[in-house]
Order: sequence, then C-alpha cells, then structure tokens
Amino acid sequence: MTDITRDRLLSGAATKWSGLPSGQTVVSLATLIFCGGLVLYPLVYLVAEAFNTSGEDSFPPAEIGLGNFTDLIDDWHVLANTAFVACLATIMAIVIGFLAAWTLTRTRLPGRGWLERLMELPYYMTPLVGALAWSVLAAPRTGFLNQLWHGIGGGGDLVNIYSPFGIAWVMALFEGTVAFVMISAAMKSMDPALEESARVMGAGKWRTMLTVTLPLVMPGVLGATVFVFAEMLGSFAAAFVLGLPARFVVVTTAIWEAVQSYPQDYPRASALGLALFGVMFATMALYRWVIRQRNFATITGKAFRPRAMAMGRLAWVLFAACVLYVIVAVALPLATLLLTSLQRFATVIMSQSQFTLANYETALGFGAVRQALVSSLGLGVGVATVGVAIMTVLVWIIYRSKAPGHRLIEYVVMFPQAVPRMVFGLALLWAWLNIPIPIYGTLWLMALAYFTVLLPLGVRTLAGVVLQIDESLEECARVCGASWFYQLRTVSIPLLRPGIIAAWLLVFIASVRELGVSIFLVGPKAKVIAPSIISSWLSSSSELSAALALIQTAAVFVAVIVLFRAARGVSGERL
Amino acid sequence: MSETCIEIRDLVVRYDDVPAVNGVSLSVGQGEHVTLLGPSGCGKTTTLRAIAGLEEPSGGTIRINGELVYSAGDRRNVPVEKRGISMVFQSYAVWPHMSVSDNVAYGLRVRGASRDEIAAAVDRALDLVQMRSFANRSASLLSGGQQQRVALARAIAFSPNVLLFDEPLSNLDAKLRAEMRVELRELQRRLGVTSVYVTHDQEEALAISDRVVVMNVGGIEQIGTPEDIYNRPRTRFVADFVGSANLIAGRVRNSNGAGAVGFEAGGVALAAWAGHSPRGDESHVAVRTAYIDMAADQAGGDTNRVAGTVRQRLFHGDFIQYIVDCPVGQLNVRRPPTELFEEGAAVTLRFAPEHCVLLEG
Repeated sequence: MTDITRDRLLSGAATKWSGLPSGQTVVSLATLIFCGGLVLYPLVYLVAEAFNTSGEDSFPPAEIGLGNFTDLIDDWHVLANTAFVACLATIMAIVIGFLAAWTLTRTRLPGRGWLERLMELPYYMTPLVGALAWSVLAAPRTGFLNQLWHGIGGGGDLVNIYSPFGIAWVMALFEGTVAFVMISAAMKSMDPALEESARVMGAGKWRTMLTVTLPLVMPGVLGATVFVFAEMLGSFAAAFVLGLPARFVVVTTAIWEAVQSYPQDYPRASALGLALFGVMFATMALYRWVIRQRNFATITGKAFRPRAMAMGRLAWVLFAACVLYVIVAVALPLATLLLTSLQRFATVIMSQSQFTLANYETALGFGAVRQALVSSLGLGVGVATVGVAIMTVLVWIIYRSKAPGHRLIEYVVMFPQAVPRMVFGLALLWAWLNIPIPIYGTLWLMALAYFTVLLPLGVRTLAGVVLQIDESLEECARVCGASWFYQLRTVSIPLLRPGIIAAWLLVFIASVRELGVSIFLVGPKAKVIAPSIISSWLSSSSELSAALALIQTAAVFVAVIVLFRAARGVSGERL
Repeated sequence: MSETCIEIRDLVVRYDDVPAVNGVSLSVGQGEHVTLLGPSGCGKTTTLRAIAGLEEPSGGTIRINGELVYSAGDRRNVPVEKRGISMVFQSYAVWPHMSVSDNVAYGLRVRGASRDEIAAAVDRALDLVQMRSFANRSASLLSGGQQQRVALARAIAFSPNVLLFDEPLSNLDAKLRAEMRVELRELQRRLGVTSVYVTHDQEEALAISDRVVVMNVGGIEQIGTPEDIYNRPRTRFVADFVGSANLIAGRVRNSNGAGAVGFEAGGVALAAWAGHSPRGDESHVAVRTAYIDMAADQAGGDTNRVAGTVRQRLFHGDFIQYIVDCPVGQLNVRRPPTELFEEGAAVTLRFAPEHCVLLEG
C-alpha cells in the first residue's frame, strides 16, 4: 500500500472517527445508490435483451448471441433512412442556426433583442406539435396548402410532407433554434479585439471575416452540427407522424413498431435501441472532443458584445429570414392547429368549414383524454417539485462536497443524456415488466421514469447556478460555526433559489411534453397527454389532436413566460 | 511571546499526489498577529485553510488553544464549525441575499445568542468598522471596500478565539488598501485577538504583523519580526522576495562563526555580517537598495566603499532608482528624490557592514 492510499484511508477514517461530517457521506452514498440504480438498472435489461437469442422473453436470457444484430443487416434500409433524414435535417438546421446567429449577433438592427427572444420559441414547440401542424398543412390531397393549390386549379399536389424531406423539414425547424443558441454563444465568446486587430493590420471587412472570424467560429459551428445530428438520430415524433403514412421507417419508429407488433419483438427492438444508443454515444463523444478542441487561448468563457458590422441591405434580408423562420416554425403551426381544433373537419376553404367547440369539449370533458391532461399536469408538478429537491442535493454533492465518489455521481446522473429517449423508454418498459414490484402501468413508474430521464436537464441547470456561487460564501458559513445542514438552509439554498425556480420550470415543461418514454409506459391506469395526442391522431382525428396539442402547448408557454420573468429577476440581482 | 494559541507541527497537505504544504511547523502566541507571506502557490493559503479546517491535511498536528483539532496519528479532525475560529475571505464572501446586519449576526445566531445579545454585538462590530449606518442595507448593494468592512465585522462579531485572514485586501485598489492596513492594525491591537494573516504583498506583511513567516514551495523560509526579515534575510529567496535587495555574488574570505565576516566579490573586499556560522558554501551577500549611500566624492572611510558609474536613472516620485555599474556587478540604489545624479556620473557607493548580509548557501 502506498503512502498516499494509506493517508487517504487514514483521513477517511478520521472523518468517521470524529463522527462529524458523516451526514454528507451518508446522504451522498444514498443518492449515488438511488440514482445509479434508476439510471443503470434499465440499461442492464436492455443490453441483456438485445443479446437474447433464446426466442423467449426471460431475464437473464437463456441463450445469448449476436443474432439480433445480424438480423438488423436485413433492415439496412431503416438504417439508411435514419442516416439520410438526420443528415438532411442537420444541414438545414445548421444553415438556419448559423444565419440567424450571424444576423442577431453581428448586425445592428432594431428589435434585435426581441427577435433573439422569439428565436428561442421554436424550442418550446415540441416536434410532435410541429409534425401534427405540418401534416395538416401539407399532407397530400387534404393538406391546407394542397387544398388551396387545387382551389386555384392546380393539378396534383403542391407539397407532400409525408416524405423524408418533410420529416427533415419539421425536425430542422425545431432543431434550428438549438443550433442558433449554440452558434451565437460561440460568436459571443469571441473577443472583438481579434477582429479589430485584423482591421488595424489593414485587412478589409470580407478578408477579416474569412481569415479571422470564420476560423474562430468554426469549432462552435462544428460542435453544434455534431450535437444536432445526435439529437436527430434519436428523434421520434416527426418520423412517426410524417413517415408512417408513407411507410418510411427510421430506427426509432422501427423500435416502436417492434414493440407494438403482435407478438412483441423485444429482442429486435432492444438490438435496434442498443445500436442507436451506440451511434449516439459515439456522436456525443465526438461532440465533447470537438468542444475540447476549440481551446483557442483567445476564446474564453467571457461573453463579449461583438461589434456590429455594417452589412447594408443584406442585413435586412437576413433579418426578414429570421422573422420568417419564427413564423414558419411557431406562428404558422399554431394558427393551423387553432383553426383545425375549432372545426369538425379540417379545411382551409372557409365556405366548407363547420366551426365547433366539440374537440375542446372532448378534451376537457370527463373521459380518458381529460384524465391524460390532468395526469400530465399532476406529473409535471410532482416530478418538478420532488425531482428538483433531489437534484439540488445531488448538484450539491457533485460540485461542492468532498464526499467520496462525488465525481462518479456526475457521470451517472448525466448518463441518460447519451441515451435516446425512445431507447430509454424501451429499457424502462422491459426492466419494470420484469420486477415483482407492482409499479408497472401506474403513474408512479411514469414519475420515476420522468425523474430519471430529466436528471441531466435539472442537474445541468442547477449546476450552472452553483458554479457561479463563490465557494467561500459557504465556507464562511461553516467558519461562522454553522453545521452543514444549517449552512444549506441559510446560505446555499437561498442563493440557489433562482436556479431552483428555473430548474423547476424546465423540468415541468419537459414532463408535460414528454413522449419518448411515456409512449412505452402508458396503460389503462396511466395516461399522459403526448401519447394521447398520438393515439387520437392514429384514430385519424387530427381535429381532436390539434386541440390537445394546443392545450399542451399552452401549458408549456405559460411556464415559459414565468421562466422568462424569473430569469429576468435573476439577472437583475448581483450574485 | 506569551502563551501559545495555535501550534502547528509537521503539517503536510497534499492535493492528489502533489504536496502543497510540506512539513510546516509554526506556533502563534495569544494575541499575536502573524502573517504568512509568499508568492502564489507557496502553500500559505493552504496552511491557513488547514488551520480553519477547510482543507484536510494528510500529516502532522494542529492545536488551537491547547485542543488538538487535527492529528493524523490520532485520526482526529475537528470540523471547521467546531474550531471556534473566524475568517475573512479574499472574495469577502458577503452573502448577497441578506442585509448587512443579518450577515454580521450570522455567527451569533448559529450560536443561539439571544436577540438582545445579537443586537448589541452587531452594533458593536459595525461601529468598529464604521458601517453602523449601513446596517439595514442589502449586502448586494455595497461597494468592494464596504463589503470588506462587513466581512470584517461579521468575522469579529461573535468574539472568536482566532481570526484568520485570507488575502483580505487583495481585491481593493491601492489607496483603499493602504487605508485598510492602518485600520486592520488598529483593530487588531484593540481586540487583542490572535490572528493569522495571509498575503503575497510584502509591504502589507511588514506593516501589520508582529511576526512574518516567509513561505516558499510548501515550506517555511524564515520566521521573524518584520525588521528581522527586512534587515537580516536568511536566504536568497527572502532577500529577493521581501523588499528590494542587491544580491552580490562572491565568496567568504574569513570568518569566526556568526557575526562579522569577510567577503570578496569582483576583487573587492567587503565587510559583511552573518546570522549563522558560515559553512563555506555561501555564495551571496544581500544589500538593501535603500541602505546604500551614494556620493560624488570619495570622502569617508574605506569600509565597503565601491566606485561606480550611473548607467540609468529612473524617477519614481517618492524615490529615485539608480542602476550603477561597479566592480561587484550592477547595483540597484534607491535614493530620496533630493539626491540627484546624472546618468554617466562617477559615484562612490557605501554601505554599513551590518547591512551587507551573508545568505545561507
């Protein structure tokens, strides 16, 4: 035994012997076991099932082999479809994000601040809502755009959203804002002096852009590209709503079909899921590598206000493009859904439309749909409240305590981020079906699942605030004689309050719109809103689906407004 | 020095594998004001944090008022809140979500003091730092200097046994820093509380301490009164880091133990002083730049007289710095702005033997 390990053991023992900070050790160990179990337990089942070739669904499998994976080779078109749609959507999203980021950080135009806020809105529309709206808008024959086209005497269909391009389009509209946020962050972190010195050295505006600005921003763009691509691989809703009518299947929808088919083909679903997880994990690893590469000494964590460039008339064109993006990604889909939800049969030809409130009556009246709405909101509040409390303790242990294993906890809680939501849902389904605790098919399991998959979101939000709080603020409390719990209560938690509020709202929003996990866990006694929208859409009631989607969006937007209010309060304070 | 208040023996603190503090032993008397001085990374802050209990050492012992608060051998580590100490942080750590008086009252509330006791102690502490009129102000609305005062009031309000200071003045501007030095020294005398102060600013250390501990790469270089450290540096590091000194390279010619020794540098015989009995491996003497006299003529005795030429003159305002070429090497000389010499002028330098200190090899 080396000196260091002995010292470590001795000091560990010293802590216990004097019996004082063991509160930390106990709490941190308990959280590690709890969260580790929640995250890793389902994945064990997923892996086991993916290699299960016995033909019987048992755990542990009676026979293991690579058969399920070799079967996937026959499904090469599914894999090719996935790659094609993800690439196409990524390119579109990055173009949208880059142009918008450039326009909003580098030009001096009126209303820039407002537009920057509006650009974040598409993120709060779910891909499911976008896909529903665009299917109403641009489905062959019945889509609003095609109705209008026929109305003015056009033949055939103007647009067909039930195609790979349609799926990519809807996904790009949603992810474009993610790309925008990431790329503009990269642009804002560049010291304007770097460009100014190029100008001083005699380089012109365009030369500066090509030789200084773009090379410095490129790593940020590359990082955003990889990140968005990984998200695209795991996305389900758009491919489901827009792909299935045309029998265009991607990996996520193939998993869903394998589980829905009779008899259920769990090994195939698990193999698909594990393969998708593998690719996504590799992509995320690539993303982290890209991010680490951008350690140009010049790019610091500091935010600069980049110098606006005189772009002339081009600036207005770019500005109009940003406004158009917000209209196409938010306003148009919402207007479409509103119109549809108020009609008996969806149509844009006003002379034929029959207006009705029946869809809202169905949604809000007594019945399965209303039950789903109530459950979703209840779950949102419950998971946010209990979850954020646990996450706060977690973040504390990870970033502040000296308890053993606190770094390990970070890896464990961030792990769900690397697993596609659909795959995690599948793993949870399979894992909890196989456990004797009668929790499957109840809202309790749903709550546990939500907490698990939303761990990274909550922890990341809270960590952002924790890392801003100077450690000596807490140390000082201890020095003044406070115990750990007293310090948490009087100093740490009050300082964290803005972060706690933000995390609560974000977890609430994410719960209310959750689809990937919910779709596997819904049952007669556990209904939530997103899968209900899917099932009402499957029973070909786009009108009722529209009403439900709008109600869901409204709940999310109310939370978003509160969030923005709260965030403004935060930035006003000096922390 | 009266009774011992803090006693550190063979303290070792490691970060992962790297020792940040490596075998530090030190004792601080009751009511004494000791400063740990050194460049960044010398282990001074780590030592302070180990006294506070914010850093867990891996070896040695720490006693505060006779009580063993850390001992590697006994596996004993009293948590920070039970050590009866108080601390002023570099970042002040004034809680932005509380008012000034809530900040100051914190330590008293933790200790369950009564409402009246708290009010009286808060008023007393705020009076001491002249912040009484800010009592109800939100702490997030204070300037840096005001936050500094609140942090100080908070640290003394609950009458701790020991006050620790972690570079408390380093975030203030130069003028305010000079003012706060005077106030800190005054406050320390008035309260008579034992304090350990950490700084990398040698002027600050010399000005406000009873004793200075100069640290370098995790160990102690020299402990002494400010005058001791300045006038009789023991090592090259101390001579160089504290104040400004000329290091003259040469060799010992003759010695009879500690005291007066003969030294030779560049063919010039110098009368030097040694704090230790020379072992023969010494290679440098230190002469403070302020202790060198400079004259245009050669009047006066022969002892430590060096002829030279002014190479450069830099006007600093409060003093003039001359760089003088002479046989022993290039010497830096600080003279009051009243003593003007032209660049290129031939001058004679002189310094007393006791100001020419032989450094340990």
